[in-house]
Amino acid sequence: MNRFALFFAALLFAALSPTVVAAPETLPKKLNWQTNLGDPIFASPEAVRGGRFRSFITTFPLTLRLVGPDANGSFAHYLRANALALVDFHPNTLNPIPMLATHWAFDEDGKTVYYRLDPDARWSDGKPVTADDYLFTLEFMRSEHIVAPWYNNHYSKVIVEVKKYDQHTIAITGAVPKPREELLYEYGLRPTPAHFHQLDEQWVRDYNWKIEPNTGAYQISKVRKGKYVEFERKRNWWGDNKRYLQYRFNPDHIRVKVIRDINMAYQYFAKGELDTFPLNSPRFWHKKAQGDIYDKGLVGKIKFYNDVPQPSSGMYLNEDDPILGDRKVRYAIAHATNVQKVIDTVLRGDYERLNSQYEGYGDYTHPGIRARDFDLARANTLLDEAGWQERNGRGIRVKDGRPLSLRVTYLSSNHSDRLVIIQREALKAGIDLQLQLLDPSTGFKQILEKKHQIAWMGWSGGGLSPVFWEFYHSDNAHKPQNNNITNTDNPEIDRYIMEYRRATDKAARVRLAHKLQELVHEQGSFIPTFKVPYTREGYWRWLKLPPWRATRTSDSVFATMGSTGGLFWIDREIRQRIEDDDLEHAKPSLIIDETWRK
Amino acid sequence: MLKLNPVARKRLERFKAIRRGYYSAIILAALFVLSLGAELIANQRALLVIYEGEWYFPTYGDIIPGETFGFDYRYETDYKALKARLAESGEGVVIMPPVPYGPLETDLAVGDFPPHAPSIDSGHYLGTDTSGRDVLARIIYGFRIALLFSLLLLFFNYLIGVSIGCLMGFWGGTFDLIFQRIIEIWSNVPFLYVIMIVASIVQPGFWTLVGIMVFFGWTGITWYMRTATYKEAARDYVMAARAIGASNSRIVFRHILPNSVSTLITFVPFSVASGITSLTALDYLGFGLPPPTPSWGELLKQGTENLDSLWLVLSVVTAMTLVLMLVTYIGEAIREAFDPRKFSYYE
Repeated sequence: MNRFALFFAALLFAALSPTVVAAPETLPKKLNWQTNLGDPIFASPEAVRGGRFRSFITTFPLTLRLVGPDANGSFAHYLRANALALVDFHPNTLNPIPMLATHWAFDEDGKTVYYRLDPDARWSDGKPVTADDYLFTLEFMRSEHIVAPWYNNHYSKVIVEVKKYDQHTIAITGAVPKPREELLYEYGLRPTPAHFHQLDEQWVRDYNWKIEPNTGAYQISKVRKGKYVEFERKRNWWGDNKRYLQYRFNPDHIRVKVIRDINMAYQYFAKGELDTFPLNSPRFWHKKAQGDIYDKGLVGKIKFYNDVPQPSSGMYLNEDDPILGDRKVRYAIAHATNVQKVIDTVLRGDYERLNSQYEGYGDYTHPGIRARDFDLARANTLLDEAGWQERNGRGIRVKDGRPLSLRVTYLSSNHSDRLVIIQREALKAGIDLQLQLLDPSTGFKQILEKKHQIAWMGWSGGGLSPVFWEFYHSDNAHKPQNNNITNTDNPEIDRYIMEYRRATDKAARVRLAHKLQELVHEQGSFIPTFKVPYTREGYWRWLKLPPWRATRTSDSVFATMGSTGGLFWIDREIRQRIEDDDLEHAKPSLIIDETWRK
Repeated sequence: MLKLNPVARKRLERFKAIRRGYYSAIILAALFVLSLGAELIANQRALLVIYEGEWYFPTYGDIIPGETFGFDYRYETDYKALKARLAESGEGVVIMPPVPYGPLETDLAVGDFPPHAPSIDSGHYLGTDTSGRDVLARIIYGFRIALLFSLLLLFFNYLIGVSIGCLMGFWGGTFDLIFQRIIEIWSNVPFLYVIMIVASIVQPGFWTLVGIMVFFGWTGITWYMRTATYKEAARDYVMAARAIGASNSRIVFRHILPNSVSTLITFVPFSVASGITSLTALDYLGFGLPPPTPSWGELLKQGTENLDSLWLVLSVVTAMTLVLMLVTYIGEAIREAFDPRKFSYYE
């Protein structure tokens, strides 16, 4: 009798909390543990530690939390870069490499991966990273208190279970079987320090400015609100003798200063108060990045071609808007958007036309999809068909007394000159685009709350294969705070997205991804604009790079953190000499690295 | 025929005698009147088109689609192209304004990158900005907007400020006391922050901006009006009017206001100048009128961002200095003309 009661209690317990598994499990016998210590290292053994690297952001972060409201701003990548993954991908070979896990093994069910955790791994407060921290991630990410629906969903529907075998062995199970590399990528999990968090209704507020212990090389050491955030290199970081982490993250301090105006930031750079400066914008590369400091060879310029998923820059049309709900109008706007003219004039031919939201994903990218061309005749026909035949005195089309006026929300005054051209050209088709420039934080909030009509912005690309659910599934439509900012709600797309998410075979996934890209193209709610298949930067010559400079997937040559970052180092002697004006003038330096050019 | 009372006539004569201020007033008035007809000076639309025997005046009113002149499009005619075409074929005449570009028109060709330097051949007498728009055209339209903005601001500020200040002085007592405190508090609200907050939530338009600025701007003039009214109300002529049985409103409007107006008028030019500068400052900071409205502040911002294209910052700084100088000269002259003492000695 007693035994039965116990049995039932255990059953009940298991049913109530399927994730927190009390009894120690036993590992399957026939596991094939893998690791990868054979790929070449991509950091230079000549690197020297020390110095302070100074960088900037344009708005101060609204929070230091990694999840929850406002945690998706531009500062977030600094925080995420120091939350290491179990397994990362080699930036050149793209093979999996160990990070927080030393070994991994795949279950036969095709959706479970076993990890052996690195016993050396430590939180920044010195506590060891154990299996419990991974169990806690699941509890944490599923909690309503973090106010992050995307994470709530992802860690219940996509990642369904985490099992602990001992302090340093876990298994993660996803919802559907996937190809092996996708398993590592999609069902990866970052540990969350269980000893740090106290989850309750106050969490979002209480933890807004708290500094969470992390596993990466840097931790925030100083925060001056509105002014700067400073990171400090951990002494005796546990990763320092790991194959793919050694010789990296060399500066002792990273100061991220808030400089609200990009031109002001350039002045800081030109005076040597910032170490590098992004020169991707043609105006900077061709016109501003000239003068004494370049001629004397104190500052170098580098153009480095990379091979990564392209950010999806363009115009996101909100389908919930009565005007934009009409597919013909959306097509017409695309045909009235003269991207090529912008490229040929203000962008100096430097940028290329982006053809779809999913470029740079290798096989997954549909080779046949082309962005809709600037074609006024087509735009006119489409608008006439959609019932916008009449024009008012200003030449703007009118339907039922309402003019075809649309607000374009954008977040950087540097894009004004591009938009002005697009606006003038669209007017030729009788479309009145009204430009609304907002502060990035406010503007992004407006977009996430889906109060925009047309959002001029880009999502950074990433991952091994394209994601569709976040952007186009109806689950995310008509609700604030998610990435479906077009409010796309199309049953056919939904069906293929679910099929795509379930598919494990790469060929099938590629086929479905292509189909989805066709459907998204047909939906017409995203108008792609530009892509930049390289990174361009200016840097003071006291910064030293390895001979290969950066990696295939580097999106910045001088990234301080992250999976491709931390390769450069500071030569303090040269710096001192440059600052004392004691350096013989060198030749101007312009590096164009086409190793990874496609 | 407007009949001025002897005092006013004397003041006008004195004003005219101060040459610098008088000519400044004439120039500024002329500039303002000209700017009201800015469409006739700087415009992408032609002044006159004679095509197939018909006369068109496209400057004002609805757009004339290209089809009308034998082009194959329905959007607004490109008059410069039309001019070139008609000049070649001799079928008609197109007369363009002296500056053949509108303030919003982007003049860009493939392979050349704005901003363009000033050039007489291209018709961009002061060059173009970073989007290829004509700087002169934007200065002209920006001037009009700034001046109109400033005059509207002045009107509303004075309307509210004078009424309240006058009543404070006339009624005195509790009303005066309460409003003094309100105004003290009011004038301590940092209005720039309010504008920044408003601008970060919605993009302010012309009228919202006027509204916000009036909301915080009316307090300045109340103090002067209050003092002037107190002074006048104690005069014998007010007492006399009251003795005859004149109503309060008659006393305020017929006696006190006209006599204290001299205080006001000396402030007008400086208020205009401050209106222009504050709009420019707001535009410069990006909290002003929405792009692509032609604005001096925006041009100034472009200029400071592109110091290598010197014509941007030079044109707008020159224009601004000129206008502010004219206004200040006028202000000086008015102040002097209204000064009852003919000579002052400063030691």
